[in-house]
Amino acid sequence: MLAFLNRIAARIRGFVRPGGLEADFDQEMAAHLEMAEADGLRRGLTVEEARRAARVQLGGTTQLRESWRAASGLAWLDGFALDARLGLRMLRRSWGLTLAGGLAMTIVITIAAVAFVFLDEFMGRTAPPLDEGERVVALQSWDAQAHRRRDVPRRDLQRWGATLKSVEDLGGFQTIERRLIIDGRPVEWVRVAEITASGFHLARVPPFLGRWLAEADEQAAAAPVVMIGYDVWQSRFAADRAVIGRTVRLGEIIHTIVGVMPEGFAFPVNHRYWIPLRLDSDTSLKAAPDGVVFARLAAGVSLEGAQAELATVGLLPPTTMPSRDNAVQATTAEARRPRVVPYTFAFTDDVERGELAWQQRIILLLVSLLLVPPCLNVAILIYARTVTRQEEFATRFALGASRSRIVVQLCVEVLVLSSTAGAVALAITRPILAQIGEIIRRFPDLGGSLPFWVDFGFSWRVALFVAGLCVLAAMIAGLVPALQATGRVLPVALRSVGSRTRIPLGATWTALIVAQVGLAMALLPSTIELAWGNLRPSVLGAGFAASEFLTARLSGDRDLRPDALRQIEAGLGASDVTFAAALPGVEPQTLIEMDDGTGGARVRRYVRANQVDRAFFTVLNVPALAGRTFDGRDFGAAATAIVDQTFVRQVVADGNAVGRRVRPVPASGAEPGPWYEIVGIVPDRPANTSHGRMYVPALPAPRGPAPIHIVLHGGPEPVVMQRRLQQIGTNLDPALRLDDVRRLDEVLSEAQVSSSLTSCALAIVTLSVLVLSAAGLYALMSFTVTLRRREIGIRTALGARPGRLLVSIFARAMKQIAAGVVVGVAVALALHRALNIEVEGGWHIPGILPAAAIFILTIGLLSAAGPARRAVLADPTEALRDG
Amino acid sequence: MPDSESSILQGTLDLMVLKTLEHLGPLHGYGIALRIEQVGERALIVNQGTVYLCLVRLVQRKWIRAEWGVSDNNRKAKFYSLTKAGRKQLRAETENWERVAGVMGRVLNPQAGN
Repeated sequence: MLAFLNRIAARIRGFVRPGGLEADFDQEMAAHLEMAEADGLRRGLTVEEARRAARVQLGGTTQLRESWRAASGLAWLDGFALDARLGLRMLRRSWGLTLAGGLAMTIVITIAAVAFVFLDEFMGRTAPPLDEGERVVALQSWDAQAHRRRDVPRRDLQRWGATLKSVEDLGGFQTIERRLIIDGRPVEWVRVAEITASGFHLARVPPFLGRWLAEADEQAAAAPVVMIGYDVWQSRFAADRAVIGRTVRLGEIIHTIVGVMPEGFAFPVNHRYWIPLRLDSDTSLKAAPDGVVFARLAAGVSLEGAQAELATVGLLPPTTMPSRDNAVQATTAEARRPRVVPYTFAFTDDVERGELAWQQRIILLLVSLLLVPPCLNVAILIYARTVTRQEEFATRFALGASRSRIVVQLCVEVLVLSSTAGAVALAITRPILAQIGEIIRRFPDLGGSLPFWVDFGFSWRVALFVAGLCVLAAMIAGLVPALQATGRVLPVALRSVGSRTRIPLGATWTALIVAQVGLAMALLPSTIELAWGNLRPSVLGAGFAASEFLTARLSGDRDLRPDALRQIEAGLGASDVTFAAALPGVEPQTLIEMDDGTGGARVRRYVRANQVDRAFFTVLNVPALAGRTFDGRDFGAAATAIVDQTFVRQVVADGNAVGRRVRPVPASGAEPGPWYEIVGIVPDRPANTSHGRMYVPALPAPRGPAPIHIVLHGGPEPVVMQRRLQQIGTNLDPALRLDDVRRLDEVLSEAQVSSSLTSCALAIVTLSVLVLSAAGLYALMSFTVTLRRREIGIRTALGARPGRLLVSIFARAMKQIAAGVVVGVAVALALHRALNIEVEGGWHIPGILPAAAIFILTIGLLSAAGPARRAVLADPTEALRDG
Repeated sequence: MPDSESSILQGTLDLMVLKTLEHLGPLHGYGIALRIEQVGERALIVNQGTVYLCLVRLVQRKWIRAEWGVSDNNRKAKFYSLTKAGRKQLRAETENWERVAGVMGRVLNPQAGN
């Protein structure tokens, strides 16, 4: 077995480096002949005799070279190269197939490659790019009941550091946001890593200037110090080498700069500012992604070994620790357990390790399966072409080529097409990923840059993945038609070489055409509705003058003072101010359930939920269409909600929403929240989206770090507003962050970016399916007309009317198109029933199904028209002579 | 067991090349061919080129390795040497050959066996 694998590996090496092997062989033969000639001369032969004797002893060089090539696996390479050349020639000749099939394959391979890189970087990576990065781990508190990562009390961090022998350099960090004030520069908000000194020992990256943070800096009495990143040093301090010892103000505290880290260093995630983490505090470290306990596995210790030791040390009872999510922790104390995971995994999601690998595999499998529809379409076209190439295959077969040789030839021809598609896909994947990277960078949680281990650049892994997809595509699109064509056609073709008998089209062909038209018909209505649902807000607008509203964000690490919002309102000096947990149009999605009042099954549905204050509907000029908007009664003990028209249409079957009860569906294992009684129905704000909205009253001063959004009607220019808000923030509480001033229409446009991309992707996929279907039908008609050329010639010569001829030519194509449409309509109806298009972000379009059927029939007729016209206009004498 | 596709002659040549390399140490193709010609009295290989086909096979199976070096006459030549796997294979093939030779001897000369 090993010897066999070694032979395969040697063949692959030969494939990669054929020229090198040939040159080696030539050199070796030259050396052999030289030595043999020298021996001959020593034996007393003349130069000429010695040369001749050496060649005779070696044997025929041409035969030897061929035998050597066969033994080295290079003969196989020659066959492959020949097939590839034939494939290229066929692609040039069948340009319609090349364009239609290549486009569809390129689209799908690009989607799959983007998904692969994305998953690989965010979910698949286990080691950060640090020295021995695979040994860097994270220690977490895992709540198995709620399936969530929890905060880690700092006392646990200290205890682990003092007890655990299986890890070293144990420490932790958490991200905080601070207002940065440097003399002579505008004030800005920055993300700062509060980190233990051990983090720098763990990263093993020496400072560019100054020193690392030290353990002494973690003491409460120590002078506040900060380390800065290389680009901060460049941009904020003009690369001044005397920066060590200078001071900056972070929040209310003045810090002394003690070090500059080298370019590219961003441990623990994407940080550029590092201050010491005080371990004497009695609070907890935030859960990932905002905080993590990190360590490096000790020499010779595996992750499982560290996990076993950590399990024996355990966690302190949460009730003894004050914590930000203590209320939740108290209910799930028994479910919490410490776990050790690879470092980058800690930031992935609230998942177990095995789950993530499965999620990744399933997503990749589904994405790879996207290849099947376009490849089946290409398979049809390839099959049509193989039938027309019957004589070529039959001749090769008669000359001794085996069936497998011809199958390989056809597969290699398709591989040339799929490889071209793969190469184009690889080329366009990078700019697409760069765009996606830009979008992700803007996520508030990431603070402007990606984690330091995420790299969307070229990697051999993605190249191998794309190569695998190309081979898969070649197998799907090439193997099936090749086996069909060589299995059935060859014996018939052998008999028909040189005769006028033509091979008939089989049932496979008909089935494939029907399946192709059926697929296009089945997908078209849903994709159009999905695309329209995503495009509606951009095309039809928000339904109100969004540009008249200014928005801003209010955030901070601390709870707000009870009167903070009123003070901000007063500071802005405007009456049309309102506060909400989310801005209109970008509310978070929530799964809710509605009590139907009869004790029957509760309707569950994803809607957009927002917490708003009393003035929200007045400021946005939203009247109540039924019931009322919020008033004083709703901000006390009563749990009430207001819903919009789309919510009523999607969730409430009879349309009578007022008086019904609704609540968010609790997470697994958690207690359900209170029911909210719907007290009013309002128009959609923004309109033309496919999401229903539910509004509940917000507390006057929400607790915790979640941001609050301000919406102001009218108001000054954004720049003026930003200055005014900064002033208000400084006067009210310097730890408060009041920023991100934008007009509401800009907010809505940004929210539409991903929807527009989805629409574009859907449009491209649909277009490629339609083009492929049209190409398939065109090929069918061309082939049918070619087969019947002689018959048509005779009928024309006998005076048949063109109309009658056309009907007879169209009949077969129309039967297949009609059968495909019937199958497609049945699948589309089933799909419509199973898939609630509005839940998926689409928009129901009345009459879409018959319109799509007519459209597909028209496409079919237009595809068939060209070949049919050619048949009718053909000269009967020519047809009779050639046919 | 040698490769099932190998003919007896091919298997024999493989064994002879392996034995030559074990006996004489690293050697170039010409040296191996000469040695086999001398020992086999030119009866076993038709021409020297056959040795190179055998060497390609053995390198692919990782039983021998090839490196460019300089010959005694100061000429650049490719030198072949036995690998650990090759030594193991040589032992197995030698035992096999001796067993077959013994059996064949007894079959062809039954009296000697008795």
